[in-house]
Amino acid sequence: VKTAATSLPGASRGLQLPEGRAAAEHEPWRIPNADVGAVRRREDAGRGVTMTKLAQWLWGLALLGSTWAALTMGALGLELPSSCREVLWSLPAYLLVSAGCYALGTVGYRVATFHDCEDAARELQSQIQEARADLARRGMRF
Amino acid sequence: ATGTDQVVGLGLVAVSLIIFTYYTVWVILLPFIDSQHVIHKYFLPQAYAVAIPLAAGLLLLLFV
Repeated sequence: VKTAATSLPGASRGLQLPEGRAAAEHEPWRIPNADVGAVRRREDAGRGVTMTKLAQWLWGLALLGSTWAALTMGALGLELPSSCREVLWSLPAYLLVSAGCYALGTVGYRVATFHDCEDAARELQSQIQEARADLARRGMRF
Repeated sequence: ATGTDQVVGLGLVAVSLIIFTYYTVWVILLPFIDSQHVIHKYFLPQAYAVAIPLAAGLLLLLFV
């Protein structure tokens, strides 16, 4: 009988299981001394383990979009008051506009609070002038 | 940041806050306010709340 315990990589080396009884028969979900990660890695090897950010975003958008569509078309059979329906209808536009406002506001805030290093900028400019003078003296033409 | 950077940055923040509050009142709060209230005078009909951002977005996409 090929069980989970015997099909694992360590099983062929004859590992001693801490329990005396056959774990696979009485508690098949418990795999002592098992490299559970190996099982998972084998199963995931074909698919790839993680979902990309793009896929996550698309999933989220698809879920929200389908919920919104179901609610606006009354597919769920809920009788919402007309004011709620008005708000619901404009929700995607509202979310887009507020996301745009957030982006604009964040950009503006970061521009306003950026740490300028004026001394370093001035020093750099003077060093550039020095270098140009030096190179011009040595004969390089700009 | 100094000088014009600060002015421009804070101006952007102010503009975005103004747009956000106006739009929120327009879309979220107005439907729940009685249609006889005086505040409706300051806002266009609700249909424009979707049409104007849509048009602006299309313009942005076409000209950028």
